[in-house]
Amino acid sequence: MMKYLKLHTIFIKQDLKKLMEYKVDFLLGAVGFVLTQAVQILCLGIIFAAIPALCYTENGVVVDSWTFHEVLFIYGFSLIPKGIDHLLFDNLWGLGYWIVDKGDFDKYLTRPVNSWFYVLCEKFCVDAFGDLIVGIALIIYSLCAMPSDIAGAINWLRVIPVLVVMPFAIMIFTSIKTATAAISFWTKRSGHITHMCYMTNEFAKYPTKIYNTVVKTLITYILPFALTAYYPAIYILRGESFWSLPVTIFVSLTLFGISQLIWHRGISAYESAGS
Amino acid sequence: MTKLIRIYKPFTRAGILEMITYRVNFLFFLLGEIMKCFVMFFVWKAVFDSSDSSTVYGFTYDNMVVYLFITFLSGYLTYSDGSYVIGKEILDGSIAMRMIKPVDFDMCFLFQELGTKIMQFLMIFLPITAGVEIYRWIVNGTPMLDFVMLLLFLFSMLLAYGINFFFNLSYGFLAFYLKNLWGTDIIKGVIVDFLSGATVPLAFMGVFGQVLSYLPFASLSYTPVMIYMGMYSFKEIVFYLGLQIVWLCVFVLISKLILRSAMKRLVVHGG
Amino acid sequence: MDSNNIMIQVKDLRKEFKKAVKEPGLKGSFKALFSPKYEVVKAVDGISFDVHRGEIIGFIGPNGAGKSTVIKMLTGILTPTSGECRIDGRIPTKNRKEYVKEIGVVFGQRTQLWWDLALRETYMVLKEIYEIPDDKYQARMTFLNEVLELDGFITSPVRTLSLGQRMRADIAAALLHDPKVLFLDEPTIGLDVVVKDSIRKAIQKISAESGTTVILTTHDLEDIELLCERIVMVDKGKKVFDGDLSELKRRFGQMRELNFELKNIDDSEKLCYKDDFNFSDDDLTLDIKGTSVNVRFNSDTVSVEDMLSYTLKRVHVKDINVKDADIEEIIRRLYLGGGMLSD
Repeated sequence: MMKYLKLHTIFIKQDLKKLMEYKVDFLLGAVGFVLTQAVQILCLGIIFAAIPALCYTENGVVVDSWTFHEVLFIYGFSLIPKGIDHLLFDNLWGLGYWIVDKGDFDKYLTRPVNSWFYVLCEKFCVDAFGDLIVGIALIIYSLCAMPSDIAGAINWLRVIPVLVVMPFAIMIFTSIKTATAAISFWTKRSGHITHMCYMTNEFAKYPTKIYNTVVKTLITYILPFALTAYYPAIYILRGESFWSLPVTIFVSLTLFGISQLIWHRGISAYESAGS
Repeated sequence: MTKLIRIYKPFTRAGILEMITYRVNFLFFLLGEIMKCFVMFFVWKAVFDSSDSSTVYGFTYDNMVVYLFITFLSGYLTYSDGSYVIGKEILDGSIAMRMIKPVDFDMCFLFQELGTKIMQFLMIFLPITAGVEIYRWIVNGTPMLDFVMLLLFLFSMLLAYGINFFFNLSYGFLAFYLKNLWGTDIIKGVIVDFLSGATVPLAFMGVFGQVLSYLPFASLSYTPVMIYMGMYSFKEIVFYLGLQIVWLCVFVLISKLILRSAMKRLVVHGG
Repeated sequence: MDSNNIMIQVKDLRKEFKKAVKEPGLKGSFKALFSPKYEVVKAVDGISFDVHRGEIIGFIGPNGAGKSTVIKMLTGILTPTSGECRIDGRIPTKNRKEYVKEIGVVFGQRTQLWWDLALRETYMVLKEIYEIPDDKYQARMTFLNEVLELDGFITSPVRTLSLGQRMRADIAAALLHDPKVLFLDEPTIGLDVVVKDSIRKAIQKISAESGTTVILTTHDLEDIELLCERIVMVDKGKKVFDGDLSELKRRFGQMRELNFELKNIDDSEKLCYKDDFNFSDDDLTLDIKGTSVNVRFNSDTVSVEDMLSYTLKRVHVKDINVKDADIEEIIRRLYLGGGMLSD
């Protein structure tokens, strides 16, 4: 394990050095990511200007509602586990898009290192700072701007279990990326499948209750991105859905197991490239 | 004209073949992208449920749903990859390979992309419009499809694609000067999406939105979508189609100008 | 032979790939859209051989013969469809992580170094990956430095290295952990004569001093002549030759070359070797450029004496000479003739 940490540190240092070398590119990329989020938030602002709060109704009766600031908090929170996964484990995208297709996976197999971990740690994706900065800014802003009766009701001790569960939430992203990227061992390319599954996390940025049963089930149990965003965020805000925290650990470990299984099967099916 | 078609037909063919080869990738990718529409589908539902009135900024809920999906459709079909591909070729120098062939390389590119667009059209136009029309039928109780509007919509989309193509071509040529593609491309994408009404309908933005509707960005996606939805009167349709044609000419001209000045630079590089 | 002495043992190794078949053109593409067809390609079709400790063997064959596939199975990258390979008693795909510590791999076509890292830092990363102790690392670096002359560019980022420098750097990277077996897949591809020479010398020296077993694939026949004690040749997934260079020449070396100048340019029509001796297409090539004539023929079919007397009887010549087949000619024939020479 120490070996892996050491390796990861070397690559992180390296990518940070590179960042210094290509300052402008990094800056433009980060500005792009921040801008993407900013426009979406602006869009949220425009939407909320027309309504007092976002409501979930059943048969015309309001069952639950979220203020603009609560939605912003959930939105901001959703960017944290996603951003950390993006920061540390982004190289999996490359696997499905070109590494396997070009036969470049060979080199990962000729080293005495766990091939999965080796792929993961080879790249440190600094663009993710865009996500993380926006996420943290939104959380701070929404908490400050919230009416004091909502903010005052928050029990800050709830942050502790959420922090405990956070690594498992990050692992949900990593496992889904791993499992779908490993499909490329059979099909050469699978980046588009990763993309399809990954985009499901867009649902997680908003209160899960507003979706119908199909979507709710999908994002809670199958591609459980809601466990990385709405549930922990609403737990911090209101103390609701504590059940989701142990479920997150369980689901995350299960997904991790499945993704590792697919990965190891995939390696024996790997066909390299060329003659 | 026939000569033009004869010369560039192979490029269109190559585009079609490419799309066939990557059809599965494309469809999966598309499914991922359309996810955003479904997210907003539910968000807008909650928004309309939360509102006391049945319209928000003059849009009913089913207007909004149609807007979401048709914007997605037109955005996808009129999207042009030129800025990135040409920019990349300029930066790594492989553009030289295009220059040594006795054809206009912007035309090669246009015809090749047209090939992929034909295939994309066949693959996604029907399912999405059919879905939208069935939805409208169920909600309104009567079929809403208007064939004249549909034809005008298609014509407007064609113009939108042309504008998009030459706009992106011009932007791609800027790679000669910008030296960075990836970051600036993201920034450009976000700004264009916002100004063209792809994120929020321009109608929601009041006077500011009205101003935006005259800019070329609106011609990229807002105009065809509003025509499809029947939100424009006949006079407005004529006006906005005319505006699209004007913008198309402007961008053809701009791309030619940038190309000419960029070529000089390329020669200097090569010397 | 003492079984302890055997480093690599390959038994009836096979690898099959499924390949999509597509008819040409737009129509074919549409057909493939609805009913994709597959065929099974036997990339490696039952190959067996042994390699002894410390041997340098040349693994050759035409493009697509399956040699890269064999190398990739031996290095644990590909899992064999059936059959077995053992290196120092280990099966590559079983317990891969432990296994690859024993081998070093260089793919000439693509670098395994980190593009943006300075070369020295690349080696530091590898030191961590292979868990090489400090003192051993120092000693090894000194040795490799001396053999491969890395000093001049060890602080440069890999992306700035020339092809020759990069290849030397790659070979050093593969040898850092003192592997028992070194796999070199086209290590001299695209290099100039001087660099090729220095790389060959380095390989020889490394093999001699560290006792490393080397498996080398190449299209460069000089590599083979200068480095390899033994040659394994594959074609269409099968082994077609296994032996040393002199045996290859003895067995397939019947091709001779006859070169001469005609005194009279019209005489060339009088030379009808093919019809008069009943040569098959494979056994004869005749090149006439103006007055200079080049005949390559199989001396098993017609003896050199007969060819000479036939020629001299028919035409007036100046400057006649007979040449032995060189290895390049043998290989060319083997490649063109396919598996027909298999035993």
